[in-house]
Amino acid sequence: MIVSGVPRSKRAAIWWGRLMVMTRKELIQLFRDVPIVVFLIYSFTLSVYISGNGLKSQLHNANISVYDADHSFSSRDLIHKFQPPFFSFAGELSSSNEGQYRLDRGTVSAVLDIPPRFHEQLAAGEPTAVQLLVDTTNSPQGLSAASYAARIVAQFGQEASLARFGGSAEASQNLPVIVSDHRVWYNPDQNETWFESISHLLRMITIFAMLLPATALVREKERGTIEQLLVSPLTPLLIMLPKVLAMTVVILCAMAVALFGVMQPIFGVPIRGNLVLLFSLTALFVFTTAGMGLFAATITKNQSQVGLLTLLLIAPMLMLSGVTSPMEAMPPWVQYLMTLSPLRYFIDVVYGILLKGNGLKELWGHVLAMGLLGGSLFGFGMWRFRRQFQ
Amino acid sequence: MNFRRIKAVAFKEWRETVRDRIFLLLAFLLPVLWMLVFGYGLVLDVEHIPLVVVDRDHSALSRDYLYRFTESRYFDFKGSLTSETEADAWLLSGKARAVIVVPEKFGERLLAGQPAHVQTLIDGTFPLRTDITKGYVLAINSALSGELLADYVARTRGLSREQAKTLVQPIRLEVRYLYNEEVRSAWSIVPALIMFSLMLAPPLLTALGIVREKETGSIYNIYSSTVSKIEFLTGKLTPYVAISFVNALLLWLLATLWFQVPFKGSFGLFLLSSLIFVLTSTGIGLLVSLMVSTQVAALIITMVLCTLPTILFSGLIVPVSSLSPGAQVQAHLFPGMYYTNIVRGTFLKGVGMNVLWADMLALALYAALLRLVAYRLFTKRPRS
Repeated sequence: MIVSGVPRSKRAAIWWGRLMVMTRKELIQLFRDVPIVVFLIYSFTLSVYISGNGLKSQLHNANISVYDADHSFSSRDLIHKFQPPFFSFAGELSSSNEGQYRLDRGTVSAVLDIPPRFHEQLAAGEPTAVQLLVDTTNSPQGLSAASYAARIVAQFGQEASLARFGGSAEASQNLPVIVSDHRVWYNPDQNETWFESISHLLRMITIFAMLLPATALVREKERGTIEQLLVSPLTPLLIMLPKVLAMTVVILCAMAVALFGVMQPIFGVPIRGNLVLLFSLTALFVFTTAGMGLFAATITKNQSQVGLLTLLLIAPMLMLSGVTSPMEAMPPWVQYLMTLSPLRYFIDVVYGILLKGNGLKELWGHVLAMGLLGGSLFGFGMWRFRRQFQ
Repeated sequence: MNFRRIKAVAFKEWRETVRDRIFLLLAFLLPVLWMLVFGYGLVLDVEHIPLVVVDRDHSALSRDYLYRFTESRYFDFKGSLTSETEADAWLLSGKARAVIVVPEKFGERLLAGQPAHVQTLIDGTFPLRTDITKGYVLAINSALSGELLADYVARTRGLSREQAKTLVQPIRLEVRYLYNEEVRSAWSIVPALIMFSLMLAPPLLTALGIVREKETGSIYNIYSSTVSKIEFLTGKLTPYVAISFVNALLLWLLATLWFQVPFKGSFGLFLLSSLIFVLTSTGIGLLVSLMVSTQVAALIITMVLCTLPTILFSGLIVPVSSLSPGAQVQAHLFPGMYYTNIVRGTFLKGVGMNVLWADMLALALYAALLRLVAYRLFTKRPRS
């Protein structure tokens, strides 16, 4: 504790000086661990590139095989409509049993079965049906494949019947149909590298923000060096805060590298909002997430325990906060649970600032939520820490 | 190789694990908790998309049309707006993800046999959601279009409604969903979660267990003992392999009894491949532990190394065939994908060895290779 009688300004200067010294200590300690540094660099550069480049969350190239019992002009025409990017044609089958065989092996994910007399019936204006077998071991993808196929077949049927009446494209102009005009905002070309590289960046920030401060604190407890710090003129705040501060600095630098070194130049991710706001809110997010890590650190005794505990917490954060699949469809209890996940707010902040050009006007609610969450976690961690050591 | 010494190392490791009650508890709790949370919580279907509408027409038909959206479980109706500029603010704040704008004279034009344009504004930040939203809108549009068209054709050509329907929509698509006939999200998620848990927890357990000895220095006892490299590695891994294998069994029970996912394949095959998979994933932890010297590094590296490919490249959410060629190579380099094939194959498809042998072989090779590399890397005489 600080001796009374020293002027206020001087006390503040001492406090800041100690904060800086301790932060420097944490940074030195971190950068001595070469494997961590290597992985930090990998995570924010190469790995952002790989996942931005490689992932497609939409239905892409669903392998489809066709059993064509008709072999007519119409059936071939229909088969031709199953095109990339949604479907990729994986060959014709010689029997319908072969379809099941290929589905079992997972070499195709859908089989289209066109009946004999398909062309005849179509030309005669009789109703006909084609069958689609879909692998639904991955249910959303199976449903998507079915809905695309339904769209293709419906359109094909409509065109065929129009053609039968000698109707041309112009004739359809005079039919009572609803024409959809879609306008996609914020990412008009539906460039998936934007979404995937941003969500990857968010995942990496979360992992590092949670783990680094937590393990740094537990390590001191485990090795007993914490006793040295406690006998020094440092308050618990001055022991915990520098750990967060050091990691915040490191993570902000890493994010800058990812953003300006990979995402902007290679993928063309736009930065439509304010960069200062983005980095300040990232700092807030790191603080909040670190608070969660420190909380885990104060209730565990060694690094193995804190490792498992943070893994336990981090997996739901990564999977359910909305980076992997949209929040809206999650059951209500998950949505309530995720109000405790700082990542849930940070996602909207980052996508909002980068893609939508959001400012504080739209984001203040999220900022407040992150601040409150971080403040209470950090406060609780401090309270536990004091109780354990004083 | 001396069996007694392996047993001694394994026993010592087991004792150490059991004495750390919290660690032991977490090691068993982690997979079970994850499966409960994700089995119920991880819904991959895109539903309840927040939607606002702008109706400039206010006709009976436009109301009927918009009613189809507000009643659909795919959309959550958030309100009716008067202008598009208002809609901009809703999209910008993320309170709405889609806006439907019905133009003036929508009803009038359609009843007069003319096409009507409906504008949809969609938030494009999340491509999957955008894409699926587009699909839902198109489906609702074409359903109503089909009805209107059939009415129109029936009126103008003097046909019955049934005939008109055939005319408008001559081909029906009969969809048969295979393996997961009711298309339950949980059925496709839960088996894959066994892979998820066994891919994340065992490497961490193993890596921490070994690096702990390095960091505290107790590994020097091993260096100076008569225990050989292979005996140490085998003994050290045994408790973690055992814990993980028991977890595989627990998860299987949870999946079949609690979540009632059908298990159509052979249980023996599942057990055998789970054992091979556990040997693989603990092998990853082993390899990491030999390359680092602190537990912090072990933690970070195993987490980064395992979490991301498990979520992204193992077929849990995105099928491997949908990945770009580069990412497909990654997926094949990572063991998760093979085990996903095996669990989904044995649970939902009920296929056997004749289909899954390649995946099992890949895993077995992987496990063997990891151990070989670990054996080469581990040395009882560290340079320092």
